[in-house]
Parts: sequence; C-alpha cells; structure tokens
Amino acid sequence: MSIGYILTESEYAQVQGQYYTEYQFFNCVADINGVWYLFLSTEDKIALVNTQWAWILDLPEAEYVPPTPPPFPPLEN
Amino acid sequence: MIGFGLNIGNRGVFGAGGGGGFDADAQAFFDRVTAAGGTLSATEKTATNQLVLDMKSAGIWTAMRAVYPMVGASAAACAQNLKSSSFTGTFTSGWTFASTGVTPNGTSAFMDSGLNASTNLTLTSTHLSAYVRNNTKGSQYDLGCSTDIGAGLNVTALITRYITDAMYIEIGGGGYGTQTLSINSQGFTFGTTNGSRTQNLYKNGVLLVSSISSANNFANRNIYLGAINAGGTPIFFTDKQYAFSSIGDGLNSTQASNFYTAVQTFQTTLSRQV
Repeated sequence: MSIGYILTESEYAQVQGQYYTEYQFFNCVADINGVWYLFLSTEDKIALVNTQWAWILDLPEAEYVPPTPPPFPPLEN
Repeated sequence: MIGFGLNIGNRGVFGAGGGGGFDADAQAFFDRVTAAGGTLSATEKTATNQLVLDMKSAGIWTAMRAVYPMVGASAAACAQNLKSSSFTGTFTSGWTFASTGVTPNGTSAFMDSGLNASTNLTLTSTHLSAYVRNNTKGSQYDLGCSTDIGAGLNVTALITRYITDAMYIEIGGGGYGTQTLSINSQGFTFGTTNGSRTQNLYKNGVLLVSSISSANNFANRNIYLGAINAGGTPIFFTDKQYAFSSIGDGLNSTQASNFYTAVQTFQTTLSRQV
C-alpha cells in the first residue's frame, strides 16, 4: 500500500519537473481516477524542510491506487 | 608521514592516504562526487578504484558510456558517471539512498541517465547492465526507453524479473524475443549485442539465452533506470535496489564474464554482494 500526497491540478503544475536539489526533481503520478499524487522518501522530506517546497509536506495524504499498467507487448514467435 | 600512494601491478592502491595513488579516471570520479556535494568513504574509494583498474585490465573500460557505481549514499554521489563527466544522472523524488545502493519506490521514481539511445548507441554493439540486490517481480523495467508509450517500438530495455518470471534484453527492437526464466532478480544481469543483431542475455557472467532481434531502431529518448522512458512518459516503475548499472558498447562472452567478476569484486569489497 502506497501513501502519497494529493495534489490539485494547480499544485501539480507548480511542482512537476521542478528541481528541489541539484540532482533531484519532483515526479507526480496519476491514480486510477486521474488524481495527482506525489511520493516522497524520508530523505526527500528532510530535504524539503525550510525550503520553498515545505508546503508540500502539509498536503493531505491518501492511499494510491495505480491505473492499470499498459499491456506487455506481444512476444516474437 | 610521506603522503603518497603507489600502484602495485594492477592491485589498486597501496597507502592511499592523502588521496594520491588512485587511477586518474577513478580520481576524476571522486572529484566529481566531491564537487557535487557528495562524500565517499575510504572503502568506497578503494573499491571504485579497483573496479576501474579491473575493467581496464579486462579491456572493457573503453566500451563504457555510463557507469553508475551507486556509492556515497546520496543523490549527489550516485548521480555521477564513473566513466566521464557526461551522462550525469538525475533522480526523481521517491528514491532511498544507502551504502548498499539506491532503491526507487516502485510507484513514481526513476533516474534519467541523460543518455539518448539514438544519438549514443549502435544497434549491433550495445550493452545494458544492472546489479540488483533484492528479489522482487512485477510489471517492472530496470532500464529502458522506447518510441511509443506502449513500450513496444524501438525498445532498448533490460528487465531482470518481470511479473511473468522472465528476464529480457531488447536493443532497438520490440519483439521481446530474447527472454528466459527468471525467478530471482538478484545479481548482475547483463544484455548485449556484439557485432551483429544477436542479443545475448547473461546472469552473473553466464550466458543464458541468445536470439536475433527484429531490430528496428533506437528511440530518440534518454534511457531511464527504475522504469522505462516510454515515448517521454515513465512507466513500469520498479522497487528493485541497484548497486551498479551501466550503459555502453557491446562485449563478448569473455568480457562479459570478466565484467561480472569485476563488479562482484567491487560489491564484495563494499560488503553488499548478493
């Protein structure tokens, strides 16, 4: 079970692809209903404290249900 | 104290105190890690230096385009390419960095290698490798890129254990015909072409399967680690822990075996071998 931060469309547009360290950027994923989620590791959360991105840590959290993955390509005969 | 080191034969560093005595390419990597804000332990430096020496001794160093030894337990250190200052990786949110390697969350995390397949690789001479420390399976790719979002066109990918309990190598193809049983993702998985369109898939230095690819072309996309870059969209995220990964030119069977030996020696020195 994955718990992530829920983002509005506006919040998603604000963070997606933005760098929060020199070598790390945010990547959000949509759930089965098209709601945007952001998952942060423990060290990600530590890195965001006292930065312009600290507000993310106050966003509501919820369980993530992934969309069905695309079908695996057919194999050669 | 005399602050210098000596190389003895090809056995790495003797008296490495003070930072001297390392192979020039290893030292350049250490310098990049430091400049990025990362740090490496003395053991990590010794192990990495020996890895470079072993790859050079085996004649495989020149085949490397991007080598990620995943040392330093930070994004800044693990993003650095051992081979050169090109193809420095960038990590998304959702990774955990430890002395044992880097672990994506399996939901949203990947590393962009910055290496575009179509502009840097050759269909008949390309390899992908990954050293995985945990045994997991799922709808997961370890390395890859494709032209389409379905991961079926111009695919370059390595899969160590898919949900079907199979492993795959695909280099500029899409048929996924070079596959074999995989019930354990742990270890060093290596796939290559070497002078032809025959794709060879190795596990821990042993050739498991060979087959001719229905080659198309390379995708004009960067190769991701921890997912596949499917036409610009990351999909098939994994939760496998990586302690090494590389992208480069093709290797023959002897080189593949020596590559495994070098990487396994590296992992053993770091006490993280599987």
